[in-house]
Amino acid sequence: AAMRSRAEVDATLQTAKVNPAELLPAVHCLSFGPQAGGGECCLLQLEPGLCAELEAGRSLVIRGEEDEHAVLCSKDKTYDMKIADTSNMLLFVPGCKTPEELNADPASCNIIHSQIAGFSKNYWELRRCRPKLKKLRKLLMEDPYKGPDSWKDQTSTFSKYTTEDLLSLIQASEEEILHQLQVIDACKIEGYWRILDFDYEMKLLNHVTQLIDSESWPLSKVPLSACLEELGSLEPREMIEHILLSYGRKYVDDAGEVFFEMREDKICRAIAQMLLQNAVKFNLSEFEEVWQQSVPEGMTTRLDQLQGLALVDKSSRPETIFLLKVEDLPEDNQERFNSLFGIRQKWTEVDITPYIQDLCAEKQTVGALLTKYARSSMLNGIKVYNSRRPIS
Amino acid sequence: LSHSGGTGALAQWVLVELQGEVEPRQGGDLAGSLLGDLHYTCEGVPVLIVGHHILYGKVVQLEKPFAVLVKQGGAPQPSPAGPHGHYTVTALIKTKLLFKTRPKPIITHVPRKV
Repeated sequence: AAMRSRAEVDATLQTAKVNPAELLPAVHCLSFGPQAGGGECCLLQLEPGLCAELEAGRSLVIRGEEDEHAVLCSKDKTYDMKIADTSNMLLFVPGCKTPEELNADPASCNIIHSQIAGFSKNYWELRRCRPKLKKLRKLLMEDPYKGPDSWKDQTSTFSKYTTEDLLSLIQASEEEILHQLQVIDACKIEGYWRILDFDYEMKLLNHVTQLIDSESWPLSKVPLSACLEELGSLEPREMIEHILLSYGRKYVDDAGEVFFEMREDKICRAIAQMLLQNAVKFNLSEFEEVWQQSVPEGMTTRLDQLQGLALVDKSSRPETIFLLKVEDLPEDNQERFNSLFGIRQKWTEVDITPYIQDLCAEKQTVGALLTKYARSSMLNGIKVYNSRRPIS
Repeated sequence: LSHSGGTGALAQWVLVELQGEVEPRQGGDLAGSLLGDLHYTCEGVPVLIVGHHILYGKVVQLEKPFAVLVKQGGAPQPSPAGPHGHYTVTALIKTKLLFKTRPKPIITHVPRKV
């Protein structure tokens, strides 16, 4: 279409009975650009901080496979994406100036021909969400590392994931993914992220604890170099160091030597898992006895070390304990609660907290979750929670 | 599936929000056709003359700015499950011109030609 002239603009103003003296001199003649109807442009509403990130030149990434709801990831946060409909038409106009900008620039053109780049009746809304990290463990568990002698490991790279692979498959930000890899004690072997097979992990741990015992080292001061020297012939040095990093706190003394302060709670917990995974459930008192005898000299076992790992049934006679790992439970809130209420009809807050703690969104409390997904009642003077709906 | 700001500063665009539908005159192609004239009063009130209507609006600074995403490679429309494909952030929108008032029709139908 031909570009409008000043004369045509003035004629329109006259027809519309608008007094040009009341207007700023510049006018935008809006027309639709060549791509406008194509639907290739869409709008994304930005949460606080994201605009600044984009302006700083950082990327945002949309992640999700065909069967997943897409999420948007910044460097360190994850957001659910949802379409918001407005009843209005939204036109996006490049080069359109505001009154402030026009007033600030007295030389601004009399007629500005602006092309509308696109339009939409809806836009993408973002809502901060928990990163979807359960898949990370699932992927790494496809091929747990069983040690260098494992024949399977030498051959295939199938089911092995690099950082880039994980970034493209996991609906979470890079920082959230890297943090979770640390939390689950994953390690990089030949460029691939691996999780240790539990039995292999216990074998490594056992080497270390036996060495600590035979050398009579204090649990708070285990020397790295000696471990590598003594155990280097049995297992790869990287694995020895990895197990020390997983189960100890690294520090350097004044002489610059590296030591580890062994983590009593984590070691006791791992040994409990080793014992519990062998049967459906155990007599509680028998288990506690065997457990204490199985941990390294100088360590004390306590039931609270097993939060999120095992559950005690106080209603059975005798009392029993069984393995229940929070990481095996569903990631979705409703599904998690359904699963928990399927295992046990009524829960005390103390018992259920370790199994729902990870569901809490930023600034959300366990209490808020319970209010939303459970119904409370009193049982023998104690407050208990059960399902809001009948469980099939 | 990534989209990122291109080299250089991101362009700042403006959103114009209108009630109703946008349709090309005489059922032609939308591309290239005129929408209307956008003026501002001396007080900064946006005035839009579209066809035979005159609309008064206001300038709104958006609490939550928008990013304009442009799909790469001409793939199909975003599905309800989520946008899939490659996107680039082309521009940011921090300001919108909101036209919510009922359009006042211009009495004469034929724009006077000079």
